[in-house]
Amino acid sequence: MSWLIQIFSSSVGKKLLMAVTGLCFIGFLAAHLAGNLSLYAGGAAFNAYAEKLHSLGPILVVFELGLLALALIHVITGITLFVQNYKARSVPYEKDKAAGGRTLSSLTMPYTGFIILGFIVFHLINFSFVDKSDRTIFEIVRAAFVNPIYMIIYLVVMIIVALHVRHGFWSAFQTLGVNHPKYMPALMVLSVIVGLIIGLGFGLLPIYLWTIG
Amino acid sequence: MQFDAHIPAGPLTDKWDLHRFELKLVSPANKRKFEIIVVGTGLAGASASASLAELGYYVKTFCIQDSPRRAHSIAAQGGINAAKNYTNEGDSIWRLFYDTIKGGDYRSREANVYRLAQLSNNIIDQCVAQGVPFARDYGGLLANRSFGGSQVSRTFYARGQTGQQLLLGAYSALMRQVGAGMVTLMPRREMMDLVLINGQARGIVTRNLINGELESHAADAVVLCTGGYGNVYYLSTNAESSNVGAGFRAYRQGAMFANPCFTQIHPTCIPHTGDHQSKLTLMSESLRNDGRVWVPHNSGDIRDPQDIPEEDRDYYLEQKYPSFGNLVPRDVASRAAKAQCDSGKGVGLTRCAVYLDFADAIRRDGRETIAKKYGNLFDMYELISDDSPYEKPMMIYPASHYTMGGLWVDYNLMSTIPGLFVLGEANFSDHGANRLGASALMQGLADGYFIVPYTIGGYFAGTTLSPASSDHAAFKDSTLAARERINRLKSINGKRTVDNFARELGRVMWDYCGMSRDEQGLARALTLIQELRAEFWENVLVPGLDKDYNKSLEKAGRLADSLDFAEIMIYDALNRSESCGGHFRQESQTEEGEAKRDDENFSHVSIWEFTGSDQEPKMHKEPLEFENVELSQRSYK
Amino acid sequence: MKKLPKTINLTLKVWRQQQSEKKGHFENIATQNIAVHMSFIEMLDSVNEQLTLEGKDPIAFDNDCREGICGTCGAVVDGRAHGPQKATTLCQLHMRQFSDGDTIVVEPFRARAFKVVKDLVVDRSSLDKIMAAGGYISANTGGAPDGNAIPIAQEIAEKAMDAAACIGCGACVAACPSASAMLFVSGKVSQLALLPQGRPEAARRALNMVKTMDTCGFGNCSNHRECENACPKELSIINIARLNREYLKASFFSDAT
Repeated sequence: MSWLIQIFSSSVGKKLLMAVTGLCFIGFLAAHLAGNLSLYAGGAAFNAYAEKLHSLGPILVVFELGLLALALIHVITGITLFVQNYKARSVPYEKDKAAGGRTLSSLTMPYTGFIILGFIVFHLINFSFVDKSDRTIFEIVRAAFVNPIYMIIYLVVMIIVALHVRHGFWSAFQTLGVNHPKYMPALMVLSVIVGLIIGLGFGLLPIYLWTIG
Repeated sequence: MQFDAHIPAGPLTDKWDLHRFELKLVSPANKRKFEIIVVGTGLAGASASASLAELGYYVKTFCIQDSPRRAHSIAAQGGINAAKNYTNEGDSIWRLFYDTIKGGDYRSREANVYRLAQLSNNIIDQCVAQGVPFARDYGGLLANRSFGGSQVSRTFYARGQTGQQLLLGAYSALMRQVGAGMVTLMPRREMMDLVLINGQARGIVTRNLINGELESHAADAVVLCTGGYGNVYYLSTNAESSNVGAGFRAYRQGAMFANPCFTQIHPTCIPHTGDHQSKLTLMSESLRNDGRVWVPHNSGDIRDPQDIPEEDRDYYLEQKYPSFGNLVPRDVASRAAKAQCDSGKGVGLTRCAVYLDFADAIRRDGRETIAKKYGNLFDMYELISDDSPYEKPMMIYPASHYTMGGLWVDYNLMSTIPGLFVLGEANFSDHGANRLGASALMQGLADGYFIVPYTIGGYFAGTTLSPASSDHAAFKDSTLAARERINRLKSINGKRTVDNFARELGRVMWDYCGMSRDEQGLARALTLIQELRAEFWENVLVPGLDKDYNKSLEKAGRLADSLDFAEIMIYDALNRSESCGGHFRQESQTEEGEAKRDDENFSHVSIWEFTGSDQEPKMHKEPLEFENVELSQRSYK
Repeated sequence: MKKLPKTINLTLKVWRQQQSEKKGHFENIATQNIAVHMSFIEMLDSVNEQLTLEGKDPIAFDNDCREGICGTCGAVVDGRAHGPQKATTLCQLHMRQFSDGDTIVVEPFRARAFKVVKDLVVDRSSLDKIMAAGGYISANTGGAPDGNAIPIAQEIAEKAMDAAACIGCGACVAACPSASAMLFVSGKVSQLALLPQGRPEAARRALNMVKTMDTCGFGNCSNHRECENACPKELSIINIARLNREYLKASFFSDAT
């Protein structure tokens, strides 16, 4: 086992953890989004989807525990990287200009990550660990988005998620060693598209709910 | 003084093999008892350090830069020669030998040059094994290109960065030994003195360039791989830290200096633009394949080159050398450019440049073809001069590039001091009076990989070495002398900066001991140098502290050496009243104004012995004997 | 032809630090009559001559070949490693890139792994340490087969050359927001992994070089791509992907340690 510890304590190993867990989360987001799209079909469809999901029983629990494990790895490794990288440039530059590589989304990865983490907790409190005995999930969701503050927080966070995914997606491939002039340019474009789909996909839902009143 | 070069007996082709057999060996178990100091980490120093450590010797390697990878071998562009005959053009070891000795204008030793040609093939194999990414053809085999001074394509290359790739190969072999604990690396060290015990080279005193400490290092032999002295001219293609110091300090300790006046001036460099300039950048010689060299017919014609009509242009190389035209050898092209500028026809800001015009080539082959061939060079030129060679002729002027002279060594590469070996450009051995293109890399690596590892063993096996440590009084004396000199430099506190003096020395050397020399000028230079030296020791201003990172102090020490060394160059140039290779004496030319050798009186190596400060050095001769080649006069008409 | 003033006046806001252990500060130095065809290094030379004559300590900076190949020079100029021009080292940057009256901020390469020695001089010996850990092919002198014994496809040789073009200047580290040395390490790992001669040691090399890189205190690559944009030799992060690949292969599928 010591070889595993050696790998994952190395810089490349840590990035590998971030890449693999990050890609899993993008997969999760895609599935989550697909499920949420049932909202467009109305409250009944959305409730049916939720019910089906919960009928999975222990499988769902395993799945949730898996997500929790991924989250722990992603967050702990991310914090380690953040601290190490901060220390590696112990004295900042007086004047610091981009050479043409870094982007808003690449520079803000740790910060957007922290915000997303906070949001996930907030999100779970609101929609998962909530008393569902007298209301359907659709009613809960609808009630939440009536609050304009909640709505704004949600929309801002979706922009942040889009930014995080935009750098994270192609970055994961690069970390896994998947980079070739033949397809890397396409992957970079795809990264923006995936970010947009996730941001818009989730972001449009509450707006839709709001427009239908 | 007997100058026995220890050239082995036997036919030329067998000398090296026989010699290797005759050399006594040190057993593997005993090798680890010997410690060797290597100074310099260019091609010669890095390859020697690695190879010696691989054999089991304990090596301490010093370099003046912050990393061994920065040595100036890294800047060599063109390539490295080898007699592989991969191109099936009839090349052979004998042909490479012949071209090299002829290119050197018959002023080098047959046995050394032949050995160099023999080893050239091993070098390529070794470098490929190290992962040097040489250019290859579509079939995956090594590619070759042609280079000046030869009629076959025998030059191996890695884009325009062959020196870099070969050096990084040698550096990687060196770093492997550092990792294995066989080499101790001492970067940012300058050699202040060579230490002799019982007449044998037993160590060096260095200055730590970070904190100014003087350090003593004892060993069983010292290998100097410290490059050439081209920076005596101040403006040269050499790097800032290339200097004659280590060689000169060995000379003061009794190692003799051979052929100091043999320097090479490269014809195609970007001209200087003013006093601020610190270096001249080389533009590959290959440009002359397509560029046409010209100056305006009338001196003082300051029109833009595009506005000067054909009839007002003087394509002087094509006029004077109809058969070789713009492709005459380096020394001929350089002298011709100087002659034009001296007659007032020079162009550019300082009127010290000639045009190298690609307009005809672009018209003939199209801009794209030319860009493919020379694009990177054109970009480099534009970066420096802010003019595009596609639109406007390039301006070029010759610059000091390489020095063939160096510390005298015998066939074993050992100097006149037992235990002091000298490798690469720092020795005088293989290039005679002129070096052919793509031969410097070959020599540095041959010396380091394949010669010194054997010959140093022969020295150890045949010598008695008393135990010596860095506590020995000789180290204390050298340290004290170095300290005194530093204190003296610091205490002058005059009014002129070191660079200011360096520029003046450079100008004197360039004007009187550069591309062409004559007795009167050389005599004048001698006086000027002596005056400058006197003023230097009274009026130099060295700021900063001694025990600190202090570039000014470093430069001051090196300039002090150059001021002394320049004099030896002048003595040698005065003494050699013939013209040969890069050494052109006005008094010795053919009726057409070409270099005229005097084989009867000068077929020898001039060897200079230090006789004391401010004293004229003493000259000795090593006669050169040619048994295998016939001496002929060069002609490029 | 561009019409440029022959000389310009500038203010240098330059980092001064007497020694590693001492605290540093920025100093403003006014300079006059800087010829625009000077290189940045020559400009510093002329400023130093001026400082010397004024009895002040000249600015310490490293440089050697002055033609962009040795990798000795380097500073962060106006927030960019080696200055504002692409694909050039500091010694290839010319003053015509600046305008009369500019204030230029000049700082040393900053990284925990690059200790400041003095002013703009930094200690980059950690890069040598990484090389000693595996940046080579173990081929003792003398035993090499003929250079043509193993053919190498031209495209592979060219890719290896692209990776080998690194000059070890450390600009990638200086420019990386995380001060990572991945581009530097990946250049050597790529070059030697691409060539058949380097394959036998490829796994060991990747593991050991990365391990040493980590212990030297460099940051972790975050794929900002600043390195390839600051690199004077334009090494691509494709090499970093290749290093990642080599490292993963070595970690999970090889017996090397």
